[in-house]
Amino acid sequence: MLAPPLYELRGATRSFRLGNSTIMAVDSMDVALDTEEFVALEGPSGSGKTTLLQLLGALDRPSSGKVFFEGRDLAALSDGELAELRLRSFGFIFQQFNLLTTLTAVQNVEAGLAPLGVSAGELRERSLAMLAEVGLRDRAFHLPSQMSGGEQQRVAIARALLAEPRVVLADEPTGNLDSKSGADVIALLTDLAARHGTTIIVATHDAGLAARAPRRLTMHDGRLVGDEKNGKKAKTTEKR
Amino acid sequence: MAVLAIAAFVRSVFYLGYLSSELLRRKGRTILTLLGLALGVALVIVITSLSHGLDQAQKTALNPLSSIGTDLTVTVQPDGAGGAFANRTVSTDLSTLGKAGQHFSYDTFSSGSQTTFAQSQAKNVSSISGVTKIATGLTLTVTHQEGKVPKISTQITAGGQRLNVQGQTSPPTAAEMAKMASCLAKQEKSSSSSTTTTTTPSPQQGGSLTGGQGGPGQFGGSAAMRKCMPASMRRFSRTVTTKKQTITKNVKTPKTNIKTSTYTIGGVDTSRTDMGLITAAQVTKGRFLSKKNAREALVANSYASSHKLKLGSTLTIKKTKFRVVGLVQAPLGGQSADVYVPLTQLQTLSGQKKQINVVLVRAGKSSAVGTVQKKIESSFPTAQVASAKEEAAQISGSLVTASDLAKSLGLALSIIVIAMAIMLAALLTLSSIAKRVREIGTLRALGWSRRLVIRQIAAESLAQGIVGGAIGVVIGIAATAVINSFNLSLSASSKAAATTTGGGFRGFASNAQTATQSATSQVALHAPLAGSIILIGFALAVLGGLLAGATGALRAAQLRPADALRQVE
Repeated sequence: MLAPPLYELRGATRSFRLGNSTIMAVDSMDVALDTEEFVALEGPSGSGKTTLLQLLGALDRPSSGKVFFEGRDLAALSDGELAELRLRSFGFIFQQFNLLTTLTAVQNVEAGLAPLGVSAGELRERSLAMLAEVGLRDRAFHLPSQMSGGEQQRVAIARALLAEPRVVLADEPTGNLDSKSGADVIALLTDLAARHGTTIIVATHDAGLAARAPRRLTMHDGRLVGDEKNGKKAKTTEKR
Repeated sequence: MAVLAIAAFVRSVFYLGYLSSELLRRKGRTILTLLGLALGVALVIVITSLSHGLDQAQKTALNPLSSIGTDLTVTVQPDGAGGAFANRTVSTDLSTLGKAGQHFSYDTFSSGSQTTFAQSQAKNVSSISGVTKIATGLTLTVTHQEGKVPKISTQITAGGQRLNVQGQTSPPTAAEMAKMASCLAKQEKSSSSSTTTTTTPSPQQGGSLTGGQGGPGQFGGSAAMRKCMPASMRRFSRTVTTKKQTITKNVKTPKTNIKTSTYTIGGVDTSRTDMGLITAAQVTKGRFLSKKNAREALVANSYASSHKLKLGSTLTIKKTKFRVVGLVQAPLGGQSADVYVPLTQLQTLSGQKKQINVVLVRAGKSSAVGTVQKKIESSFPTAQVASAKEEAAQISGSLVTASDLAKSLGLALSIIVIAMAIMLAALLTLSSIAKRVREIGTLRALGWSRRLVIRQIAAESLAQGIVGGAIGVVIGIAATAVINSFNLSLSASSKAAATTTGGGFRGFASNAQTATQSATSQVALHAPLAGSIILIGFALAVLGGLLAGATGALRAAQLRPADALRQVE
């Protein structure tokens, strides 16, 4: 039996009403993504990259069409099931880092696993180990406000990876960082993803980063305008 | 179970840390919320305590009748002619008090505006249906006069006047002259002196008399001459009548130290202690009058303090000594008195045997009071029947104002304060949640379920409510203690029947005095702190905070995580 692809989008559409007009943030997308891929999502601002990531991460539901994750129709899942999926299967990395400002680095990492209900000792142990992996063991008890942007994003990476998710969804993770920190963050992300066997989907403006990705999706006005796999045009829309 | 509890705690460590971090690291907002909650709780406690205190003060002071177990009082107003006893003027007949300089003490009883009537008539009241119990009483005004009987005397000085009387004596006859001459000759012989001169008393000279006394006249000095003078000349007599005159002198009014004071006295039916002019319930110190009709007295606190009376003191009423056995907080109203003695004692003292001037009535049901009042009024047309309500209406003062205020505003104020406290807490919580929508979105992205997010934020609000409520309880208790330490007292006074007593001093002009009696009672405002008030205040804070937190969190959690994340901070 053939395993279903990691993701399969069929006519996935997400539209927003803005006054009288309707904005098609994601417009009838058909695409399939496989596991252990490093996917770059390109496109200008407002082309729908963030919305697509949110559909993939079960943060949003499509207005029409379907999003399948490992063969399961996300639209058919309850809020609780989606939360469970986000907890166990998806990790998010945001452009603004989105750390919890009142919590220390280690507490922020813990927040990504706490709902699993592991004991406090185990939670702390695993979080510190994860922080060590991103090179921030000595910054564990610092508040976000006491850390640089690069450090904050590394804390966010540790938080996203702690639950060992199937997919990490990163929305312009280097957008708020200088090029050096940005490169460090990307290197860390790809390295960890390879080690943990995690699929990474990164929305980015950075052509250099995109060029390194085996799979490149390009969006424009909510539509998928480019899909390359290892430099070749991918055949993803198999009509069934 | 214990293992499960520990496991639950260990699992919740992260959430507790998150909670405390959230509250401790957002100090400004937390403090503001806490203060809002604390202030609300404190105000609720203070206002509720105060209104409780006012209620209590009101119960003791404003309901004069129910405090003495009575629903109605029946009195008889004097008709035009007035009873023999009513409005009797007090006159002091000094002549009957004793000798001048003696100390006297004198008590006069007057019934004021309440006519006395036979005690037996009270039975007619008790036979009216709806009346369950009656008690009788006699409330009199005592005019007490005390002092020394003044000495009234006047000094009139008489005598010492000089009277000049002039008149002529008849000249001596020839025979008398001869006799005188021979006499003188005889005297001359026997005398050692060799006076040869024969002097004939000249009528002009000899007629001059001074003051009726033989002055040293020409011959006045000679004893011989005197001896030989004819008898008619020797004894000159004339009746002199001085002019009749009347001496009028105003006698100064003598200084006296007669002091007049009035007080009210109540004759208490000692056969029962639960109903009467005063009941055992009003005794604040000592005990109630015994049933033995002894010479015992109860004294109102205010009267006792102004007259330096205490338990065991002796009170002399009309030369009869009464021992003070108890101090009482006299109820306000027409039937209050300064001093209470057994009814029969007072009847004897005042010469009003078997007479009373008030019947206290208790109706079976409070709803029946009005009916009973009407029945009594129709049965006794001359009777004045006053209900507790009417008595209370006679009471005025700051307590009434405050209590009216508390009544009309207290509840509204409490509700407003509570509402404001909860609203403030809710607004602060909601605004804090509004600022945290992105954070909530992030948590949802991390895999937190809606329930978990709401639980976390509600727990924060709960913690704030508990801490804020606790601070509020402390502030409330402290504020109430401060209010109590001020010892605020509210006064309530009743417009008692004006009693006119004339003090006529027989023989001396004196103005009738008008003494208006009015009972004033100082009621200390004590705001009692009830555990229930504290609990309610605390619960309100916790509940308010929790409710606001839960609602805000619920709203924020309803958002799609994507929408929550889109929120700009």
